[in-house]
Parts: sequence; structure tokens; C-alpha cells
Amino acid sequence: MLEFIGPALEHLFTLENFLWMNLGVFIGSVFAAVPGLTVILCVILFLPFTYKMTAIPGMMFLLGIYCAGGYGGSVSAILINTPGTPHAAATMMDGHPLSQKGRTKAALKIALYASTFGGVFSALMLLFLGPQVAEVAAQLGTAEYFMVCLFGLTIIAGVSGKSMIKGIIAACVGLLISCIGADPMTSYDRFTLGIPRLYLGLDLAICLIGLFALVEILAKAEKKPGPLILDAEKMHDNGKISKEEYKRLLRPTLLSSIIGVMVGIIPGTGASEASWFSYDRAKAMSKHKEEFGHGSVEGIAAAEAANNAVTGATLIPLLTMGIPGDGTVAIMLSALMINGLNPGLSLFTTQGDIMYAIMIGLIFVNLFMLLQGSFLTKLFAKVVSIPQEILTPIIVLFCFAGAYSVNKNYFDVGVALIFAIIAWLLRKLEMPAVPILLGMVLGNMTETNFRRALLISNGNPAIFVSSIYCIIFIVLTVLAVATLIRSKMKEAKAGIKK
Amino acid sequence: MKKRILSAVLTLTMAVGLLTGCGGSKTASWTVTCPWAPSGVAAMVSQKAASMSTNYSENIILVADAIKGDAATVNTWVADTKADDTELVFAGEGLFSITSILDPAKLQFTYDDFVFVENLYSSVFVMSADASLNINGMSDLEAYLASADEISVAANGATSSEAFLAAALFGSMGYGEKLKITPYSSAAEAAQAVARGETSFAVSHQSQILETYQQGGVTIVCAFDGDDITDGEFAGVEGVGKYGYPYFRNRCFVLARSGTKAETVSELKKLYDDILADGEMASWLSDTMMLEVDTMSEQDVQNHIQNVQDIVNEYYDIVVN
Repeated sequence: MLEFIGPALEHLFTLENFLWMNLGVFIGSVFAAVPGLTVILCVILFLPFTYKMTAIPGMMFLLGIYCAGGYGGSVSAILINTPGTPHAAATMMDGHPLSQKGRTKAALKIALYASTFGGVFSALMLLFLGPQVAEVAAQLGTAEYFMVCLFGLTIIAGVSGKSMIKGIIAACVGLLISCIGADPMTSYDRFTLGIPRLYLGLDLAICLIGLFALVEILAKAEKKPGPLILDAEKMHDNGKISKEEYKRLLRPTLLSSIIGVMVGIIPGTGASEASWFSYDRAKAMSKHKEEFGHGSVEGIAAAEAANNAVTGATLIPLLTMGIPGDGTVAIMLSALMINGLNPGLSLFTTQGDIMYAIMIGLIFVNLFMLLQGSFLTKLFAKVVSIPQEILTPIIVLFCFAGAYSVNKNYFDVGVALIFAIIAWLLRKLEMPAVPILLGMVLGNMTETNFRRALLISNGNPAIFVSSIYCIIFIVLTVLAVATLIRSKMKEAKAGIKK
Repeated sequence: MKKRILSAVLTLTMAVGLLTGCGGSKTASWTVTCPWAPSGVAAMVSQKAASMSTNYSENIILVADAIKGDAATVNTWVADTKADDTELVFAGEGLFSITSILDPAKLQFTYDDFVFVENLYSSVFVMSADASLNINGMSDLEAYLASADEISVAANGATSSEAFLAAALFGSMGYGEKLKITPYSSAAEAAQAVARGETSFAVSHQSQILETYQQGGVTIVCAFDGDDITDGEFAGVEGVGKYGYPYFRNRCFVLARSGTKAETVSELKKLYDDILADGEMASWLSDTMMLEVDTMSEQDVQNHIQNVQDIVNEYYDIVVN
């Protein structure tokens, strides 16, 4: 590890990298602050622009968006009682009440400090745990990888929303789309319909522009946007946090950061789960339980530390095994692979200088988030009230420019539009889009490893239970599925009782 | 008043910018599209050559671009370019000798759509074996094959140059029916597979197996060349040509769009030749990439394509079936 630190710092400390980091943090904060715009949408919109960059600036930019998105969502949650992103909902519980007590700046400050702590903690965990997990991952063979993919597919249950069946159907659509292009085992074409541009399969970034970005525009076109009125002048408090409050923040911030990391490593879970779980733990352990829900400083810190502590942790399974921890990092996988950085141990050995630069860069991304949050919060607050009539055309422009720029052809713009229509129809059927993304990301990997394992074993399925790693992942998959089914059944029962 | 001054300054800035753009610079940027992975051998060589172009030409700047996609990328390149466009593309025996026979419908071009500029390097593939098999040369290999029920070989792609080299070697040795080619998504994956014992052998570029070899995961069995390897970490490894077995080297040619002025093509060829003659480039190619500088003529290119096509036609059944 130490041999890579020097070259990594040399790669990292360039003006270009620091500019991209800051730009990413700024854009991420703005997107997350506006209700209705999500971090995943932001990453998708800007992904095509990173295709022309080298690995480090491209990843710095995307990680800037990803991390700042965690904090930006809290701005609108605190100011207007509407979470900018779903995972800021727990922050809203105490953030807005504290703001109503005339301590808006203080609430924003606590959210910022806790987010930064969680983010830096998570980045350090990635730096130290990533290479160790990669060492283990290097021992995995084709059969074991198939089992890892199968475990990864359990993510779908976690992101299925209300109906797991609909989530599974959506994932199957994603798996089917991943079959378009050359067969990974024989190189012959599948489902290309004789269209030469489909020989390579569909570009993930282009499909996602349709699935997540353009579809939002179609959905917005159906609604009349209501005005969002924000009185930025209400941020007139001095933002002071007392010594006693700082002391109270320490324990929930640290504990929530640990919870965030643990939740982030598990595929299928995400920042929302981490922030609610941490909020609940902080409340249970607090000496001031009565303050929760009425502007507790501990509540804000717990939720924010946890949702940002997820950011580095989700990269651990992604970088070591290619299994995305959540939907947003699944998209980042293409930014890595376009630069020839394939997940696995070699990423930490032969390409260690680049990898360590990215991991150390994540710490700086969080520090720049603290810096921008300290000086630009008022601006982010004003952004909350930008009218949708102005935002929508800008997003449409980005969508088309992004789709065109990937391969510089109009065919891709058409593909993005087709996917937008598919996504819009699926939305009408209340089917979630994230499982499609996961199906597309994991489809090729799952199929290739499954078929290759059977080729190695001459068709004998016993290869899938031939090693201890296979058994471990089978047990994990069964446990994950059982837990998710149980929680869904509980939710259903609770719904019936209501 | 302030607004007027601001407008005037903006207008002036834009006008100056436009006039600067009309400066009549003689320098032309040539984009060199590499249709393979950015981390692959060809893309890295292209990038290195491009970075040195300004040292040798005042008129031409080479800009390397890698877009994974093989035939699909070259199809797009051909569709989007015309004679005298400042665009170059890489293509090798994979497209002109293998895909053209296995799946001709995939190619929307022929060699006639291009004009040859230069070949930058040639690579001698090596075959490695799982270290536990203790196969260190051709005699060990022959002894092993005599008692093997199955010969499994990891290759980067099911119908790649590596797959055909394995088929040619084992086919000509009389073991074609026992051969099982297991395709992997990258050379690195294939190297790891053989080191783990998933397959008995792997065929790869020398640089791509070096790390696994140094870690003791594999032994090197032979080189796909006429003679033994003379330099570097693999010096002394036997060439299969010595035993009369078929082989070819991996080559990737830089091509311009057909119809491009001969004068321009010559200028580009001279630039590449100057870059390849640079000591730094030559030592980087041999020491880091384990490749050889290999400038070629149009006739050499045709001979190479034909040689590989002959091998593909002969061992087609082994690979495809």
C-alpha cells in the first residue's frame, strides 16, 4: 500500500483534479438541494462528459457530485421541510424544527459538519478496507464470482419499492437489455436486429439518460409545478453551536458513521436505510430523547453522518468485485471501465497509483464539501426555490447533449428517447427503474460467469458448491432474500392493520 | 453605463477570440482511434506515440483516442470519415483475418476502405501453464499432452488471435479434439484463471502474463514465433516455429481513409517512423511493453493478413466447434 501513496499523491495533486472535485461538489450540492432533482439523475447527466476525461479527474468529479449530494439534500429538508433527496428525510425530522426555532444556520452547520465527518470516516475505511477485501476477492474463481453476482442481484429486492414482484420484473427487463450485442462466450451477435450500432450492446450511460433523466421531464410535463417560496432572509441567526452541543454531537456522529459504513458495504442497502437506522439508534441512546422530532442536534448529526458515511463504503464492493453498493455507484462503474479500470485486485496492484489517488481524493472531496458548505450555503438555499420552468429546459438540454456526446451520433439520442418512453410506461405501471439499471449492470457479469463455470466443469453444476466461498455466498444470498421477504411481509401486515 | 461597458468588453473579447481562431495555423490534429480497451496494448502504444508527435512534427499533432468496440468502432469510423479527413484508425489481423472469415456480416468495410500508414509494433504471444503442472518447455508440453484427457486454454475472447494460436498449436500437434478454449473478458482475467488452476494454459501478450509469472502462479511454455525469445524476462522461451508449428505475431496497423493524398500519408508515415526511431520509444516498447518496433511495407501487411487467414481457415473448426 505505502509504495502507491507517493505516486498517487503525485497524480492527485493537480489543479485539474481539484477543479473537477470542486465543480462536482458544487453541482452535487445544487442538484440535491432542489426537491425533485436527485443525485442519481445528476450523476447520469454528467457521466457522458467524464468519458473524455482520464480516470482520476472523471472520478473526482463524479465522487464530488455523489458526496455533496448527501449533504445538499439536507438544505431543503431543513429550510422548507422537503428533503432534496430521499435520504435527507431523516434529517428533516429535527432539521426543520430547529430551523423554526430560529436556528437555521446552526442546523445547516450541524448537518455540514456531521456529513463531512461521516464522509471522511467512510473514505478512510475505503482506503484501509478496500485492498484487504480485494485480496480476498482475488481468490474468487468463475463459480465464486457467479455466486457473488447472485448475491448482488438480491439488491433488487432492496430497491423494488412497494412491490417486489414488480421489482423482479423490472430487473428481468434490465437483464434482457444486457443480452443485446455480442454473446460474451461465442462473440456472435444477439438481438441486434441487424443494426450495426447495436453490435456492441447498448451504452449504459445513454440508456440511463432515458430511464432516469428524460423520464423525469415527461413526468413533470404532466404536472403543473407549484411555486416554491423561500425566505432566505430567515437565515439570520448567528449559527452558533455551544460547547455542550458539540459534546452531545460526538457520540451519535461517530456511531452513525460506523453504521453508515456497515450498511454501505452491504449491496442493496443505501443512505436512506443508514440514516433512519442511525437516527433510531441515536434516539435510543440519547439522554435527551424528548428533543427528537423537535429540533434535536443529535438527530440531525446522526442522520447526516450516516448518509454520508455510506458513500465510501458502497465503493468497497464496487472496486473489489464489481458489485455496486447502490444505483448511483453502479453508474460510476462505467466511468471506471471506460478508462480500462476493471474491478478486482489488479486495481489495487498494477493500477494502485490511480486507485489510491481516487481513494485519497475522496477525503479531499469531503473537505471541499465542508469548505463550500461553509461559504456557499446561502447560495444553495436560494437554489432551492429555482422555478421548475427554468430547470426543466436546462435538464433537457443536458440530456440530449449528453446522449449525443458519448459516441457523437444521433442514434444514441434516439435510444435515450426510446428508453425514456419505456421508463414512462413502466412508471405508469408503478414499476421501479433502479432494478432495470442493476439488471443491466449485473446481467453480463452474471451470465458470463455462469456459462463459463459450466464450460469449465463440463456442464456439472456441482462447481457452484465446490468451494467455501461459494457456500458463504449461497448462505448470504439465502439470508438476504429471507430478511427482505420478511420485512416486506411485515410492511404488508402493517399496511393491512392501518 | 455599466451594462454598456460590460457588453462592449464581451463583444470585444468574442471578436478577438474569433480572429485568433482565423489565424491560419498550419498545425493539424489527427485523431488516432484505437478500437480496443484503453488499458490494452495497442491503446497504450498509440497514446505514447501521440504524446511524442509534437517532438517530430510542426504540422501534425497526433491525438490518441480509445473506444472499445472492435468491428463496431471501425464500422462507425468508416461511416463517419472520408478521404483527407484528419482521422486515423487502428486495425489488425483480428478484423482483416479473423472476423472477415468468421462473421463477415459484422464488417461494413474491406481493406480497400483504408490506406496503410504504418505498423507500430509486433507482439510475440506466449503460452503459460498452471505452475502446478510444472511445464517449462515444449518437451514437457508433449509429455503432458500424451496423457491429458482435456486441454483447457484461457484466452481473451472466444475467437481472438490468442484462441486461434492455441488452436493452431494443439491442432497441428494432433490434439485439436481435446482442446477446450475458455473465453475471458480480458487478458488479466485469463492470466488469473490459469494461475488459479481454472484452466491448464493461457495465451497472452508477454506483458500481460509477466506479473502472474513473477508471482510464481504460472510457468511459460512457449512463444508463438519462429525463434526463441532473446531478450527480457522471458529470454530463452522456445518459439513454436522451430518445431514446425504454425504461428503469427500480433500486429496493429495505423490506417487512414482511402483516397487520402499520398503526400499526406507519406508525411504521417515519416512521423511515425521518426517516433519509433526515438530511443525512448524503442526502450519503452521493449522494456515496459515487451514489444518490438516493427515498421512494415504495404506488401508485408498483405502477407501478414494472408498468413493469419490461412491459419484461421485451417483451424476454424477447432475454435468454432
